This record gives sequence, C-alpha cells and structure tokens, in this order.
Amino acid sequence: MNVCNLPSREIPWPNANGQLRIRCGCHPEEIRGYTFDAQFGSYAHFRSLYTKRETLETIAGHDGANVVLALTDNNHIIGFGVLDFPEPNERWARLGAKRMMEVKAIEVCRDFRAARVASGILEMLLRHPQLEKMIVYMVGYSWTWDLDGTGKTPQAYRNILLRLFARHGFVEMQTNEPNICLKSENLFMARVGKEVPDDIIQKFKWLRFGVRP
Amino acid sequence: MRYPKECVLKECQEVVIRPLARDDEPLLLQFFNEIPEADRWYMRYDVTDIGVIKKWFEHIDSDTVDSIIALSGDRIVGHGSLHVRGFGSTRHVGRFRIVIHPEFRLQRLGTWLTLDLIQLAMDKGLEILRTDLVAGIEDVAIDAVRKLDFVKRAEIRDYARDPEGNHHDLVVMIKRLHRGWGDF
Repeated sequence: MNVCNLPSREIPWPNANGQLRIRCGCHPEEIRGYTFDAQFGSYAHFRSLYTKRETLETIAGHDGANVVLALTDNNHIIGFGVLDFPEPNERWARLGAKRMMEVKAIEVCRDFRAARVASGILEMLLRHPQLEKMIVYMVGYSWTWDLDGTGKTPQAYRNILLRLFARHGFVEMQTNEPNICLKSENLFMARVGKEVPDDIIQKFKWLRFGVRP
Repeated sequence: MRYPKECVLKECQEVVIRPLARDDEPLLLQFFNEIPEADRWYMRYDVTDIGVIKKWFEHIDSDTVDSIIALSGDRIVGHGSLHVRGFGSTRHVGRFRIVIHPEFRLQRLGTWLTLDLIQLAMDKGLEILRTDLVAGIEDVAIDAVRKLDFVKRAEIRDYARDPEGNHHDLVVMIKRLHRGWGDF
C-alpha cells in the first residue's frame, strides 16, 4: 500500500499570508528537507502532538501511513496530519489487519488557524488508495485540544471537530472505549468505506461496545 | 447532537437513540403502560394518563424540555428527559429523569441515555445537572450516575414513601459541567 504513488500529491491552498500548499504521502527524506514551525511546542495548557519534525519522519516510514504537510513557499511546515494504523494493543486493531486506520493527528500552528488549513489536510489524508476498503476513525481527547489558543470551551471545540469531520463523511459514533468515556466532551467519529463488507461493519459495531455475540 | 445514535447493549441487543418525535405518542403510551406500577409510583406524573402524555406532546417543541427515546425495532424501550427552567437563579441547572423498560434493564441502556443527556446539557451551556433518586429503590441508577461523576449533594431523610407506606431517603445527585480546566 504505497500512498506516495497517488496521482495528485499536492494541492494549492490560498491564504491571506501567501500561497500555501498541502502535500500528502510525504516520505521521510522529503520531510527532512523542510523546516518545522516553532509554534508546534509546549504552552501553559497545551502541547503539540508532535514537537519535532523527526517524529513525522518516523511515522512517514510506517507501511501504509499517510503523512500530510501544509507548507509555505519556503518549505516551512505550518500544519500536519497523520493517518496510520492503530497500535496492535489498541481495541481497534482487533477488527483485523489493515481494516482500520486512525486520523492520529491534525494540527495547524496558531498563526495559520483561520485559513481552514485543517480541512485541506483532512481532504489530503483521505486520498488513500485503500480508503473505501477501510474504516477510518478519529478520537478527540479534549485534553489534547488547544483551548487557550482558540479561546473555545471544550464543547465548542468538540462541535468544530464534529463539523470538520462530518464534511468528509465521518459520523459520530458511540463507544464504551474507556479512554474516550473519561470525559463527556471526548469524541469518536468514523468513516466506513463503501467497499467494507457487512460482516466487518457488524464486527466494528460490537467492537465499539466491547461485546461479543 | 447527531441522531439517530446506534448503541449495542451488554447482551448485543441493538437500540437506536433519537429525540422524541410528534408521531411517537402511541409508542410512548405503550412504553409507559409496560412499566410496572411499582416503578411508576416514583415518577412525577401519572404517565399512563393519556391527558398527561398529550400535554407533553403539546409542548414537544418547547425550550424547557428535551426528550429522547431508545428504540429496539419500532418499540420504545427507554425514555430520558432533560428539564430546564430557562430563567432566573437556576437557569444554569438541568434536571433529568430516565425510565427503562424492564426487559432492557441492567444492560447499560440507562447509562447511554444519561451520556446523551449530558451531551445535550453541555450543548445547551448548562453548568449543573441534577437527578433526584430514591435510595433503596433506585440504587442501580445511583451507582450508574456516580460512575459518570455525579456526586451525592444532598439526602432528604424519609422524603419518599413506597406503596406500602415505608419511608425512603431522596438522594440529590449533581454533576458539574465544567467549561474549562483548572490551572493546576
């Protein structure tokens, strides 16, 4: 499964601060040639999911992973997204090998947040050759959200995520996964590909609720 | 809130949660008629009275009550309602009540309905959720809401009376819906 062979790996993304571009299927060597914005760091109430470019390089080396970058004219990373398979010890891995993929991260640095870059990153994350054969999910843990930087309440932030992912075919789903249930504002959404067989959809339903028939 | 919401219960029964709709009146009446009299005793209204139910449906679009139902096929198996005053000193408080069909009890359906009402309360910007439960009668519900971070805020001794005339304490369970985190 090679996401680097996609027909269109890059889209322009107009922005008030100049032209951005969003690239999908980035490979480690390519990422190494870019600079990483210093705003992906630690703040009083928020820490970026990835604070080092090297982490993105490592993930880009995973088989089938899709690392998407939002770049300025001078090859500076101001946003990133990661689509990868769940860890083997996670509940979602139990559906079977390569049945599910997780949108593990979407982050845009604070200076570029008004440009709907996240939507472009998500669009490019989903340009995956096997997308319709898989269930793609996202988990929104409220403790990872930059509430200070956005000035939003957890519920308002949650609703933004709901709208963003819903535009790309994701649906909010219930689950009793303990980490998600820790906070009421946490969120679980999934997009079931058109070619996912019915028996897998049924198994996914049981998996969400931790039951076995 | 996105409806309908699909839930799978402990024994793999599937239910769908959605808001109560205008044409659900006969289904709701049937549901309440299947609730044992001993349970209906502790409700605020006589829900087998068609006049009471009609009044509910007359106010279905009101801003002060939100009702959700759980359906198994085309049968209602659970009902939850969130009540707000909408003005004055307690406009930030929501009170809720959940009723589960006997065949669907101890299957976590009450928990799923409560979680949905918590979301609804958060969307409405409420700060406190309250539910009043009768000790010794509704202990399963008290335990369930405690696991959802409700705390016992008050206990009114010998407040409720069962059909045999025995007194029971009324427990006031409260959950605070925080809008942000502390700085610790």
